[in-house]
Amino acid sequence: MAHLAHYKEAHPLPFVITHWVNLIAMIVLIVTGFCIHFPFWPLFESLARGLHVFFGFVIFINCVIRVVLAFFVDAAPTGGTRKKIKDIWMWLPQKDNRHQAVEWVKYYLFLRKDHPLGGKLGVPQKISYIAIAPLIIIQFYTGLCIWAPVMNTDLCAWAVALVGGPMSMRIIHYFIMFVFIHIYLANVEGTAPTKLMFFHEEHGGLTYDPDTHLIDGEDYSVGHH
Amino acid sequence: MGSEAIVAAKLQDMLEARGVSRRSFMKLCGAVAAAAGLGQIAAPQVALALEKSVIGAKEGKLYPVIWIEGASCTGCTESFAQVDTPDPATVVLEMISLNYSETLSAAAGWSMEEAKEQTIHAGNYILVYEGAVLEGWGGHALRVADKPGTEHLIEAAENANAVVALGSCAVNGGWMGAHPNQAGALGVQQFLEKNGVNVPVINVPGCPANPEWLVAVLVDVVMMNKLPELDFMNRPKVIFGQTIHDNCERRGHFENGEFVYEIGSKEEELGYCLYPLGCRGPQTYADCSVTMWNHGRTWCVRAGAPCIGCCEANPANPGQNWVEVNTPFRNRHRDLRVGPLVFQPGTVAIGLTALVAGALVVHSFGMKKTGRTDGGAPFEKIRRWDEKNPDKAIGKYDDIDAVIAEVQRDREIAEKEKTVMAERKAAQKVSANKAQEQAKELNAAAQARIDERKAAQAAAAKEAADVEGGQE
Repeated sequence: MAHLAHYKEAHPLPFVITHWVNLIAMIVLIVTGFCIHFPFWPLFESLARGLHVFFGFVIFINCVIRVVLAFFVDAAPTGGTRKKIKDIWMWLPQKDNRHQAVEWVKYYLFLRKDHPLGGKLGVPQKISYIAIAPLIIIQFYTGLCIWAPVMNTDLCAWAVALVGGPMSMRIIHYFIMFVFIHIYLANVEGTAPTKLMFFHEEHGGLTYDPDTHLIDGEDYSVGHH
Repeated sequence: MGSEAIVAAKLQDMLEARGVSRRSFMKLCGAVAAAAGLGQIAAPQVALALEKSVIGAKEGKLYPVIWIEGASCTGCTESFAQVDTPDPATVVLEMISLNYSETLSAAAGWSMEEAKEQTIHAGNYILVYEGAVLEGWGGHALRVADKPGTEHLIEAAENANAVVALGSCAVNGGWMGAHPNQAGALGVQQFLEKNGVNVPVINVPGCPANPEWLVAVLVDVVMMNKLPELDFMNRPKVIFGQTIHDNCERRGHFENGEFVYEIGSKEEELGYCLYPLGCRGPQTYADCSVTMWNHGRTWCVRAGAPCIGCCEANPANPGQNWVEVNTPFRNRHRDLRVGPLVFQPGTVAIGLTALVAGALVVHSFGMKKTGRTDGGAPFEKIRRWDEKNPDKAIGKYDDIDAVIAEVQRDREIAEKEKTVMAERKAAQKVSANKAQEQAKELNAAAQARIDERKAAQAAAAKEAADVEGGQE
């Protein structure tokens, strides 16, 4: 109804790829992780461990690549525009979002009716997405700390002792896997953002001018709407 | 070579007097060499060192050892002293002079305490401390010979060449330190550091500690005249460098995905992996499967019991004692404790997931009801901030005052609409009430008429009956 147009410039191809890699790795890691924790599917156990370690490295390397790419790839700072800036600027506070944090929370809690203006990601969404990167790195490290070939090395042993032994490390590793909110918020206002992110399928709608920080028109020339 | 041959022959006599064959003695030397990280190839070297030491014993040059019991069950002493026949371990025991041991010494009382004091005074000895150090009640829980146990430990440690903290209790309090640890149990290393006693501490955890681990440490210190190579927790590296899981004899079944899910099942009979029963092998550092117990006959996992992680002991933290870290043993996770609450991590995970899922379901109903699922709600025409602070606005409007006026007009209209709707609703309610009352009145009137008619009919019927009766 009243959404901004979804243009490819919001999610350039390199980010579509890293996003796909993330999704596949996370699904494999969650499924194999549960199988390793308790081997209810015994014949899968050995393969699960191999996959878990392999995709642990995949998701970590992917995370590093994504962060590095942020310094080199241009992307649209908001929905509804084809203008682009360096992606890293979107990791930092954006003018489009200024003074809007409380408004976003109010909107999510049904305390206001109209949709707040903002950057490509609303304030709470942006904070939670940025948190994904350090979470992946912490999760990768805690994983190494309970992985036999390295858990006893200088890289890990001090941290294992710090948190109170391998059992505590395992429990920390166990708790860091909340992605439900991410998936929910990305889809709750229709599937258009998902189609753009995964398949680069554009979608018409309102257009936004990142220079004036305002909605400046409509564009229904792309995709269906 | 000549003198060495004489030494060997002398030792041979001693061994034979105790019923130990040369063969089993050499086997022991190999095991000791391996335990000390020297490899089997060093067995002759160890044999020579032992031979010299044992001969030295005859000449009164045995290495003095003081063995103090802390808060212990004496299990580590039992473990060390369980010799049913003269055994290689006995011979090794004779390379030291056990000058003081509450459990093993034949003498007792004042003369023993004196022997201890003399040994401490002479110096150049090893202190073996078994059991936890209790700081609670001023150390009086372990009061011996008119002095708190804590004082005894400090005195004996100060002059020692090295202190062997034997068993998990001595390393970090062990199960003596388990919640709520009212006795203030802690490990030897931490206690000595706190009291400024600077002496090398060798931590040998285990519940009980394996006797051969102590033998290996003694061989290093007494025979080789050096401390064994220690890791960052001051444990001998060669003994505690790999996990139980690394060298487990059931590891093949783990790799094949063959598990025991229930004690008494067919899988257990087949000797499958005990991992689902909460085996702590993958996280417990010890060479139990290599050294084994009871004269190398067996060990926990071979006997069918999942590892319960008795060797886990961080010397710097009594809270990380193996009991607290690993109970309940049959669960894959330990229990977590917040105040009086004790729960499993899985319970929290399921609870949190249910909470989040429930909240999202409720939220999605809200989204549906407010019509936001089809592209979200309409965008605001102006940021709230811009409206309140037009001079510091984020958006660059052509005419911000006009937008504010428009937004306010919209809001007024919405407000008015709301009032009108409310009034209409109230009016509807009033008229509905009035109609209800009217209906009630009409009903009452109709009922009155019906009653009247019924009474008239009854009267008429009675009159008719009276007339009939009169005629008869």
